[in-house]
Amino acid sequence: MNVNVKVKHGSRIQSFYLFFILVNIQTGTGIIGAPRYIYEQAKQDGWLSVIIAGLFVHFVVFMMFLTLKQYENTDIFGIQQDLFGKLIGKLLGTIFIIYIFASLLSVLINYIQIVQYFIHPILSPWLLSFLLLILVVYSVLGGIRVIVGVAFVFFVSTLYILFFLYHPLLEMDLHRFQPFFEASPMELMEGARATSYSLLGLEVVLFIYPFIDDKKKAQLPSQLGVAITALFLLLVTIISIGFMGRERLADSYWPILIFYKFISYEIIERFDLIVVTAWMMVVLPVMILLTWMMTYGMKRMYNIRQKKTLFIICFLLFIGGGLMKEQVMITNYTSYVGQIGFWLTFIYPIILYPLVRIKKALKKEGKN
Amino acid sequence: MIRKRKRKQLAYEQPKTKNEVHFPLESEQTKQAIQEQLQNESSLIFKEVNVQDQTIVVCYISYLIEQTQVDSNLLAPLIDSKEKWTTTRLETNLPIGNGQQYDTIEQVCSQLIKGSVVVYIENEKSAITYSISKNERRSVEKPERESIVVGPQSAFSESLETNLNVVRSRVQSNELVTESFNIGARLPTEVRLVYLKSLANDEDVQTMRQRLNNLKIDDLEDASVLVQYIEDTNKTVFPLFYLTELVDRFSYGVSKGKIGVLVDGSPEAIVAPTTFWGFFESTEDVYFRWSVATFFRMLRFAAMFISFVLTPVYVAVVTYHYEVIPTNLLVTLGESRSQVPFPPILEVLFLELIIELLREAGARLPTKVGQTIGIVGGIVLGQAAVDAGLTSSVLIIVIAMSALASFTAPSYLMGSAVRVIRYPLILLAGLIGLVGVTFGICLLIIHLLKLKSLGRPYFLPVYPFIFKDLDNSLFRLPFSISNRRSIALNTKDPIRYQERKSKKPKDIEDWGE
Repeated sequence: MNVNVKVKHGSRIQSFYLFFILVNIQTGTGIIGAPRYIYEQAKQDGWLSVIIAGLFVHFVVFMMFLTLKQYENTDIFGIQQDLFGKLIGKLLGTIFIIYIFASLLSVLINYIQIVQYFIHPILSPWLLSFLLLILVVYSVLGGIRVIVGVAFVFFVSTLYILFFLYHPLLEMDLHRFQPFFEASPMELMEGARATSYSLLGLEVVLFIYPFIDDKKKAQLPSQLGVAITALFLLLVTIISIGFMGRERLADSYWPILIFYKFISYEIIERFDLIVVTAWMMVVLPVMILLTWMMTYGMKRMYNIRQKKTLFIICFLLFIGGGLMKEQVMITNYTSYVGQIGFWLTFIYPIILYPLVRIKKALKKEGKN
Repeated sequence: MIRKRKRKQLAYEQPKTKNEVHFPLESEQTKQAIQEQLQNESSLIFKEVNVQDQTIVVCYISYLIEQTQVDSNLLAPLIDSKEKWTTTRLETNLPIGNGQQYDTIEQVCSQLIKGSVVVYIENEKSAITYSISKNERRSVEKPERESIVVGPQSAFSESLETNLNVVRSRVQSNELVTESFNIGARLPTEVRLVYLKSLANDEDVQTMRQRLNNLKIDDLEDASVLVQYIEDTNKTVFPLFYLTELVDRFSYGVSKGKIGVLVDGSPEAIVAPTTFWGFFESTEDVYFRWSVATFFRMLRFAAMFISFVLTPVYVAVVTYHYEVIPTNLLVTLGESRSQVPFPPILEVLFLELIIELLREAGARLPTKVGQTIGIVGGIVLGQAAVDAGLTSSVLIIVIAMSALASFTAPSYLMGSAVRVIRYPLILLAGLIGLVGVTFGICLLIIHLLKLKSLGRPYFLPVYPFIFKDLDNSLFRLPFSISNRRSIALNTKDPIRYQERKSKKPKDIEDWGE
């Protein structure tokens, strides 16, 4: 395995798609449940936690790009091999891939659960995961360009969901934010950490970087993407706190869908149904991107055909999606993924940068 | 040119596998050889003229030839001549153009069946053919399948020559290339690749040329068949090349740097590459003011969306998600459905089937009867179905609307594709409700993202996203702003004309200078 990757021109993408990729992969299912967990930690000052988390994520992206710029055209696997050698590099890469599989599974089962709760209580999870995985396989087979296209088109065509937030936004009770700044710094930090599951997915930058055509311009769209995700989360948190208040927020797993439930018009009575079905278009790009990342990683490290990995992964997901049904199990599993993800996506890249610099310095010294 | 000549040689080399008959020949031998070659065609006229001690053979197939021309321009000067004829003199001294010399009987016969007269002086080395074919073909008429209100009203006919003629007269430029191909081993059909040399992307032209050259088939029925042979993939319901019978649509495409293909004997021409959005674009959009055109184009997109989403959503909502419908509407719906004994999906499939039958019957029947069928089907059947309690009246509106919407697509092929897609969506809706419909739509979008037309993404300019190309695909801007050709097409000259820029911004009242 070479540290640097050669990508042929036909499968490169323009840098501005990074914006859509990042917004998509971060939003996923996490945002639906996030306000509750943030509120649990930081109470009515939860919005402050989101801002802190957002700023931190900006920093992480910045560090990622600093690290990647040290190389010609590489990804996380190349960096790890360069730093730790073949064996440990592969081990770390495998851990990464297992973690991605875990987070992919969490997205799948969370969405299935939401559909079951809001639309079809008796719909078989096997059927739903089968349908979703058909779409995943079909688009991953199209290659990176189709995958990015799905992320882009689906993002644009689901933006309208955001528009209808004006309804709860206008009906917020501002008193619910008082008293301000009650939470201690520790609670704020815990709140910020509670956002981690809904902000996960940043690691995609470390995978997709070799495929970007104009790398010099890649930083800006990524930062913007991260900013927009954080803003979404901030908006949703503020509305959750202001619209729902303590009592209702504490006992709803999916606060966002709850306040969509209150929106109704002359032709649509229950808007949350529309949101839940349309959310498939938010979840799909996440699943597709994560699946692609895994197949790409396996090919990069072990030279396994991407199609092979794809089918194996989807088979495992199908089984996982069909078996995991218990609410408690899913919640626990998701929080585990969030915790592992926190270390792998947010802390690890920051550690990576000084290591790369040290390695470089050592190399220089060795030469001299 | 070199390419062309090479191909011609190839075409003539083919018959060499049989034993060829070469000139010079006696007149009787010539006659026998030609008759044998043409399987004793009974309308073969074989005339021997004796002038100045020479025997000249004139041969043609009577129904393919303009008889008066043969009499006055060929036979008369031939007989009246005071000098001896030679083959070169024949070529120069007869008042008919396009004389060509051939050495073998096979070549001569291939010209005969295209409507040529063969003139052969006994014992000469080659014979001469003159093309004076009679064109029993319909003239340039009004378009019938793609009717438009504003703009040029001429449609292609079955004759390649007429079609080339009308295209040339619309695209009057010496840069218009019409490369000729012969496709079909047993029954060759002439195919012309038409593009503007100074505009069309070389790579695209090369791709198209290669696909035509690589095509090894027995015979070619029509342009629509050719499309199926040379399309990027056939695993889709969507048309990937635009088939049009409108001359102005074709020439508009060519003048924008696209590539056209004309097929002999086909009243439709191919335009490539196209995008998904291009199929909802009518040439009328160019003739209308930009604001009106934009409205109509948006209307067509909306219509298409309605056409394949409305019925599935109805099925999904009525079967599984009553709670989405507001109470007032639910009462109306419930009342109209109270008499219906079937589940919504059966009801919908039943009505959709009626509509499809009506459409198919209307298309097959003569125009006059077809109208009656429309009235009988549309009004009588619909009303009766509601009265009989087989369907609800709300559903009739839904179905009629989606059927109407599918007819708004300017391309008949696209309209048909949309109608076909609806059925799987209805089934999905009936099986798993709105989730199924969303699944179907997702699958459709991913499918569209994967498609390619002549190697270029089908979903352009939405993905890959090209902001400047959104004009003239999703909507239309005034000509003062939209002065570019599509960037995605990679034409040789992307700018159509320089933008006019006013020197000074206008104030409300300006003093005259």
